[in-house]
Amino acid sequence: MIEATGLTKRYGAKTAVDGVTFTVQPGQVTGFLGPNGAGKSTTMRMIVGLDRPTAGKVTVNGKPYAAHRRPLAEVGALLDAKAVHTGRTARNHLLAMAATHGIPTTRVDEVIELTGLRPVATKRVGGFSLGMGQRLGIAAALLGDPRTLILDEPVNGLDPEGVLWVRNIAKYLASEGRTVFLSSHLMSEVALTADHVIVIGRGRILADAPVQEIVDGAERKLVRVRSPQATELAELLTANDAQVDGVEPGLLEVRGSSAAAVGELAAASRIVLHELTPVASTLEEAYMSLTADSVEYHSEDIAASGTASDLEGSKA
Amino acid sequence: MSATATAPAGGTTSGPSTGHTQVRNVTFARVLRSEWIKLWTLRSTWWTLASTVVVMIGFALLLALVVQLAGDAMEGASPEDQAAMGGVLGGTTVVAAGYEMAALVVAVLGALMITGEYSTGMIRSTFAAVPGRLPAFFGKALVLVLVTAVLTAVSLALSWLVTYPILNANDATVDFGDGDQVRSLFGTVLYVSLVALFALGLGTLLRHTAGAIFTVVAIFLVIPTIFQIATFAAAQLEWVGTVNKLLPSVAGAQITPNAGQFTDVLDPWVGIAVLGGYTALVLIGAAARLKAQDA
Repeated sequence: MIEATGLTKRYGAKTAVDGVTFTVQPGQVTGFLGPNGAGKSTTMRMIVGLDRPTAGKVTVNGKPYAAHRRPLAEVGALLDAKAVHTGRTARNHLLAMAATHGIPTTRVDEVIELTGLRPVATKRVGGFSLGMGQRLGIAAALLGDPRTLILDEPVNGLDPEGVLWVRNIAKYLASEGRTVFLSSHLMSEVALTADHVIVIGRGRILADAPVQEIVDGAERKLVRVRSPQATELAELLTANDAQVDGVEPGLLEVRGSSAAAVGELAAASRIVLHELTPVASTLEEAYMSLTADSVEYHSEDIAASGTASDLEGSKA
Repeated sequence: MSATATAPAGGTTSGPSTGHTQVRNVTFARVLRSEWIKLWTLRSTWWTLASTVVVMIGFALLLALVVQLAGDAMEGASPEDQAAMGGVLGGTTVVAAGYEMAALVVAVLGALMITGEYSTGMIRSTFAAVPGRLPAFFGKALVLVLVTAVLTAVSLALSWLVTYPILNANDATVDFGDGDQVRSLFGTVLYVSLVALFALGLGTLLRHTAGAIFTVVAIFLVIPTIFQIATFAAAQLEWVGTVNKLLPSVAGAQITPNAGQFTDVLDPWVGIAVLGGYTALVLIGAAARLKAQDA
């Protein structure tokens, strides 16, 4: 269980996290979703005491992280795949971490086995791929068999098999009653892995709800209609309780109605239609509209329709 | 059984948790053990330690050679002249000849212990495991001082061993019955250990390998050299002499066999206490920054 209250972090004049309050419950995977620079990593770093909050507080399993006598048994954190000395081997890194908590060597070898690191365990970390670094970070997080896991962008750099593995392990750990808090900038990733999602943008919580609720709310349907008699059609539709937006002369976007209903209405009034397209907004689009005003680094409009790929592009 | 069925495939039957993982409280002894492992699992440690031994023995041999050459030249000279020669290049001076260079090499090790963690991001793993932070810092300091002290003592012993035949032939061996000579060798160990700690503190303050090493070299090599010239060139300026004797390297050196370069100096024990004071200040500042600032 992670509880944040009015958690704030300012760097000079810039506010990275702006008074966020949320609770991450045990027994489920909670996604932490937001665009680049939204404050996800800063929030996670404050949870484990690496960054000091400017205001507010955050506790893990009832206490501030630093007040725990066995912190690695309370929280396993993957905050940065490369929070490892590049000159040390993976196994030696884990042995040094384990030594602080008297964790036996057998456990070190167990997490190496579990994360598939055995072939590279005695290699120095400097030569690791991003994916291998990520696996080592997860191995370190699991070392103390923690009740709470914090994973910052855990699937970054992983191959498809690795992505699947992270999803499964996150779900499995939550099913054991642990708290799993996993950040991502990809709505689709969170939708596949998480039960609950907290959306953050520009340091503020934008949504805090079960994933299904966000997904349902997201899949609003709209109908795109092109007609030379657009004005006439718009009046007709509005009279029939649909919401109409005029996108450009002759082009309407209709909400609260179906393509069939629009077509029938137009036919009954002898209105010519040049286009009638049902548009299902995707999860990514819903996320984009949710965070539209809070994206830190807007990418230039390369393609008018490329919203989702813009988002991913800006992260790459 | 159902748990086993849903466990992610990982090649073991245990899953992420075996339910019986032994995890104990973080204690200073465990943190110390962790820092010990960290030190010895880096190649840079082995490089710097080997360099220290080589530098110490190398300088000792070089100076022993000077003693030999001087001895050859002095053959037939009066006993008074020979005694004067032995006073400048005594056995302890030869054995500890490389201590200043060794101190700089060990300073690199001290700085790297912490700057290496900041530059790679390892510091975040360290502080996640030891959120109190200070135990990790003091653990590093203790490991560093232990290793440095033993290393310097061993280097001195090896230097004594390899130069013994030459020094013995020239009647310039270390006299272990002489309290001052023994103190100066012990003082060499103290000096090198303090410089290593000083560098660890600077590394923690600056969080930057090159910056920390540059600063150590400036403080222990460049500035003293400038003042060494100044004490001769501007001997009439009183403050030059005062600052000179209070420089970390000059104050600390009075306890080593290298004392006697200047006339206006501190007492050996006062001098090493002054160096200890500087080191304590740097370490306190370092601990304060480490504790207060974001990692």
